[in-house]
Amino acid sequence: MNSPSLKKAKEIKLPSHVLDLTLGKDNQIYAACLDGGIYEVSTKLKLLGEAYKKIARHDNYASGVNWSAARNTLISGSYDGDLKWIDPGEKKETKTVKAHNFWSWQSRLSPDGLLLATTTGQYLCGGYKYEPAPETEPSVKVFDIETGELRHSFPHTPPVQSVAFSNNGKLLAAGNLMGEVILWDLSQNGKEIARIKTPDFTGWGIIKGHYYTGGVFALHFAPDDQSLYLAGMGSTTDPAAGNGKQLWQKFTWKDGVKKEAAAANSEIGEGLMETLAFHPAGKFFIMAGRIFKGDWNAALFDHESGSKLHHQNVGFRISASTFTPDGKTLYLAGGANQGRPSEEKKWGRIVIYEVIS
Amino acid sequence: MPKPDPSQNCGSPDHNIHRRKFLQGLSAGTISSMSFAGLFGAPAFAQIAKKKQKHCILLWLCGGPSQFETWDPKPGTTTGGPFKSISTKVPGTHFSELMPKCASIADKLAVIRSMKTTAKEHTEGINLLQRGHAPRPPFTRPTLGSVLAQQLGQLESKIPNFILLDPCPEGNEFKGFKAGNWAGWLGAEYSPVRVGGEFKIPDAHRLDSITEDDHEAREALRKFFSKKYENDRRSAAAGSWNATFERVNGLMSCAHLFNLERIPRADRDRYGSGAFGQHALLARTLVEEGAPFVMVANGMPWDSHVFNHEIYQMVVPDLDNIIFQLTKDLEDRGMLEDTLVIAMGEFGRSPWINQARGRDHFPDAWSLAMAGGGVQGGALVGATDKYGAEVTDNPFNEENLFATIFSALSIDPHAEFNIPGFPTFHHVENKADPIKQILS
Repeated sequence: MNSPSLKKAKEIKLPSHVLDLTLGKDNQIYAACLDGGIYEVSTKLKLLGEAYKKIARHDNYASGVNWSAARNTLISGSYDGDLKWIDPGEKKETKTVKAHNFWSWQSRLSPDGLLLATTTGQYLCGGYKYEPAPETEPSVKVFDIETGELRHSFPHTPPVQSVAFSNNGKLLAAGNLMGEVILWDLSQNGKEIARIKTPDFTGWGIIKGHYYTGGVFALHFAPDDQSLYLAGMGSTTDPAAGNGKQLWQKFTWKDGVKKEAAAANSEIGEGLMETLAFHPAGKFFIMAGRIFKGDWNAALFDHESGSKLHHQNVGFRISASTFTPDGKTLYLAGGANQGRPSEEKKWGRIVIYEVIS
Repeated sequence: MPKPDPSQNCGSPDHNIHRRKFLQGLSAGTISSMSFAGLFGAPAFAQIAKKKQKHCILLWLCGGPSQFETWDPKPGTTTGGPFKSISTKVPGTHFSELMPKCASIADKLAVIRSMKTTAKEHTEGINLLQRGHAPRPPFTRPTLGSVLAQQLGQLESKIPNFILLDPCPEGNEFKGFKAGNWAGWLGAEYSPVRVGGEFKIPDAHRLDSITEDDHEAREALRKFFSKKYENDRRSAAAGSWNATFERVNGLMSCAHLFNLERIPRADRDRYGSGAFGQHALLARTLVEEGAPFVMVANGMPWDSHVFNHEIYQMVVPDLDNIIFQLTKDLEDRGMLEDTLVIAMGEFGRSPWINQARGRDHFPDAWSLAMAGGGVQGGALVGATDKYGAEVTDNPFNEENLFATIFSALSIDPHAEFNIPGFPTFHHVENKADPIKQILS
């Protein structure tokens, strides 16, 4: 395979940081933003008006937006703990379900578009060294898109910051601050099948303060569902520096949990990685986030070898990524510096790359 | 080796306590300006002796706590972050939703939302907010704790007059400060005794082979020769050594007070299991035992350049509970009236979120809170604009703050330090006014 590369095609500014994005019908972009808005975003040149339109609003940060083609609806998650069903045609909310008492950190749709998983959990002091206290509500929930009913709820240690369905839709994985990822088999009524524990994504502040930071911020199953990728930031002893490694690790669980691969030290810099996405062909994936030190904050890695194929300094913090189904386009979303406050400043960003492979 | 004869002393501390009791109420700062011979004839003596002992607990939120997630929330704005505000027991006053317990005792808290200082970096800010004044080399101004140790400390008190509880040995810039000169021109005897975490008081017990009388006799002899050496040579260094020895000697008799394990489990559970809560509880017990000033820190956990919201969802509820428990406990024990509790850091945090999901240093407009002796519960002073970027009402600086703290503790904020050979320095310079709106 020729090494893939990225060529920047367009950059769009939004009112606030983009925490998640999804592609709807005809690859229409929808973005979930820090101002609570769910935006429909146009990539076409607008002679009049803005390139975006707010179609729904949460009472807190909008942390997730998912498109269910099967049910022709968007479902968004938020730090207000709500899930909202949004009719993209009518551009209006059709249903709200209270999912959590605390934030929805992340929400993901099953591949068939019938289920939505969302995670929550507040980090509260649970010990002398500020170990997380046990959960006060189920940290992982799965909802039925058709009815809005709760289908599964799973315990975990909060905060649970990431969640992913397997490609066949049978497995669910969720990862937390302490680097613990639990896998459940939904086809066996939610039976827990594995528990991955890695200390590599969690920092404990030897300097500055004695508490935990970091954790698993992104999860993605490999195309064959035989392994799971974790992403985040490597351990750091100075929680105020954000100087951990730009890190991914790959685990298998069939014959006992085993770390199969990890980002090579020589190929990574420092900074929090927030998103993982596989190219539809399944040969490579992207990991992206923030750059603290090094020369990239978005990089393509080979699924087989784990080696870095291409990298890019996008120029802003990236929180979300997705490829178009044909694999020809990559969308990265996040935000620039907020800067001094004003109503007018647009610091959210979506950048569109042509994928050359 | 023979054991001491218990019949010589029943072991009751009453035998030793009468002199200490007699001198209670006399601050070191006051007594140092009077001759011992004239002590009993001084008209002020009876009044001073009757004056209740004042105490101060400083919850030092090192790193610079965010005002948005504590005392000055801005929900629904571009800078407000994900946490909402909640109403409090004081109508019209709102705190961050992370502080429900403090909201329930807002009528006992005094909140300043309009601190406006100049120091943007930690070392500079820590010095400014610990000493109350910008540096003036070559003179080193004593920290708040040292001044209060001098002003409120008890003569011959065995418990240190300035205790620093900090279980976190590092803390970057705070580590450097901790290694520095706390007492400045007041001298080493007003430096803190540092305890907490790995900082224990080891080997502080009298050997069983030495009787109490023997121990006191040896100590009297040591003190005589040490003082003679210091006087004969007019040696400041020897004076500092003697002062340090006195403090260590005093610690022998109160080392057990620093043992967290002695505190009932129910109390320890109430303060939360984290190191900060446990040491705040220890501070309460030390104040109960007579300590005039205890500063509780925990490294620099408030310096949230990264993961502001992710960290503050934990550290603010921890602080919320600590302030609540401390205030209620002091009140229940009838001590709140005479104990000033202060929760503050060296500056606030920026309205804007940086790319690392953090808030940066921000001295332009920040908040702090007090409770207890000398301040008016329920007071709220100062205001900031919609985004929390500017002070719009009643800006106050470090001098106003220190004048307020001294006033609340019945210490003249504008009194002069009497240091031979030094320029004239005052507790607070520039005749800065205290924040009258929060003084009771």
